Amino acid sequence: MGKEVKLMKGNEAIAHAAILYGVDGYFGYPITPQSEVLETLEALMPWETTGMVVLQAESEVAAINMVYGGAATGKAVMTSSSSPGVSLKQEGISYIAACELPALIVNVMRGGPGLGTIHPSQADYFQAVKGGGHGDYHLIVLSPKSVQEMADFVGLGFDLAFKYRTPAMILADGVVGQMMEKVVLPEQRKRRTDAEIAEQCPWAATGNKRGRKPNVVTSLEMDSPKMELNNIRFQETYRRIAENEVRYEEYMTEDADYLMVAFGSVARICQKAIEDARAQGIKVGLLRPITLWPFPTKPLEALSKRVKGVLVVELNAGQMIEDVKLAMGNQIPIKHFGRMGGIVPNPSEVLEALKRDFID
Amino acid sequence: MKPENQVAARPRLLNERNMHYCPGCSHGVVHRLVAEVIDEMGLADDTIGVAPVGCAVFAYNYIDVDWIEAAPGRAPAVATATKRLNPSRLVFTYQGDGDLSAIGTAETIHAANRGENITIIFINNGIYGMTGGQMAPTTLEGMKTSTTPYGRRPDLNGFPMKISNILAMLEGTCYVTRQAVHTPASVRKTKAAIRKAFENSMAGKGTSVVEVVSTCSSGWKMTPVAANKWMEENMIPYYPLGDLKNE
Repeated sequence: MGKEVKLMKGNEAIAHAAILYGVDGYFGYPITPQSEVLETLEALMPWETTGMVVLQAESEVAAINMVYGGAATGKAVMTSSSSPGVSLKQEGISYIAACELPALIVNVMRGGPGLGTIHPSQADYFQAVKGGGHGDYHLIVLSPKSVQEMADFVGLGFDLAFKYRTPAMILADGVVGQMMEKVVLPEQRKRRTDAEIAEQCPWAATGNKRGRKPNVVTSLEMDSPKMELNNIRFQETYRRIAENEVRYEEYMTEDADYLMVAFGSVARICQKAIEDARAQGIKVGLLRPITLWPFPTKPLEALSKRVKGVLVVELNAGQMIEDVKLAMGNQIPIKHFGRMGGIVPNPSEVLEALKRDFID
Repeated sequence: MKPENQVAARPRLLNERNMHYCPGCSHGVVHRLVAEVIDEMGLADDTIGVAPVGCAVFAYNYIDVDWIEAAPGRAPAVATATKRLNPSRLVFTYQGDGDLSAIGTAETIHAANRGENITIIFINNGIYGMTGGQMAPTTLEGMKTSTTPYGRRPDLNGFPMKISNILAMLEGTCYVTRQAVHTPASVRKTKAAIRKAFENSMAGKGTSVVEVVSTCSSGWKMTPVAANKWMEENMIPYYPLGDLKNE
């Protein structure tokens, strides 16, 4: 028998995937366009089945600090929010990174700045890939383009977060959170036992101190030479992540004269634009970063020697284009096409932008 | 000394590190009581403390249990998840008045309102000690601090906040008490209160709050003896000792 195919929203897929992965705790707060994550979890009542804790916090600030408290005890914990709420979470995210704790944060982006709009955006790219809160740190940032990837990246995000002891983020745009698509959900995994957590996370403040010294989870180090050594260790972790965990997808790049670079739902709009371009005899390809951090610098560098021009398409004023330019240098023209404030372009607009910049 | 002649000793869980607290500070006494009660209840290997930001940020250096150091004011949120995900453990926060009743007011009230099975140890000395003696929500009217150099004025700075009274009103709290550690008798009462609070947490009765009206001789710019006297004459009349709620 084949796998069961379901139809659901991206936000709902996150909730289902969290339970199936064996997540220990979810702490959230309502904000459009991601509220279905919390709503779905509350409706599914996983505390009755897997024992997963689900809690609606009093604020985004409280929710991320609950994630911090759970992660500090070695549990697999997560939160989700949308742009204004993720700004509030930055304090806690910085502490989680500083304490070298695994955790998963989901940002279903809406248009900003400020309260902005509830419609889709990618304007939190800088915030996500540059750290976001205070201090020198990075998140592993995964960018899903489909409901299937929303489900898949929950497990991938936790696997990477625990492998490197660092927080991971799913940076989805509102389109991916709200749209309904087919999805095949993963198999149910068991939550880890306390004994497994003690073995896999010897650093965790589990409260079960038998036979070991006290475990203290703290980001405070008043001795600056030691604090610098902590930072050097963080940077070494980021270097290992950058070396091993770059993920990306190429589409029709083999013979491409021009390249589009886009992430999330925009990559799919570009795919359609590319098909239309090829029907008109213009050879265009696409590189879609799946990890926005670490960024696929090397494949872009290689493509910079083969294509005549690059169009970076984003739902913002031009953010990822900075990383594309750092990767591809200044030998070929690199242009940007973006829509802002909750507006999503259609494929013909994208194709027009490409022709305007490179063909006409 | 013969063992039978020894009437007092360092609690087993209070390690040998020299405390950074100023002479006369109440933190050292409360740390000792927390360490004693945890050990006496047989919870030395089953406890997670959540440290605040403030002078007690280094509580984890002195009491040998597992600790999580929270961001300013967030300790009750941290403890909420810690306890829910590890329900068999004793989980307590140890917070000062700036941490608990200013930056962490929302986290404190909502953790208590949910009736999280945690204990909140609340040191109220009416001042921000660690950052150098600034006004706290609990600073008394007329009290001079580095940010109220001419004394706290209600028309400018609002009124001293009795946050334990607010917490006692919430359905989620089972035990809210205000104690002190300035006399041997008050130390014994505070120890009994901490024990009761920890027992409530382990029995799943809801949130327990033990406020300890405390001195900050450095912040108040007084000798320890004068600080104790000032506290008795000024702090305790405004923050009267005793149980606010005991269910």
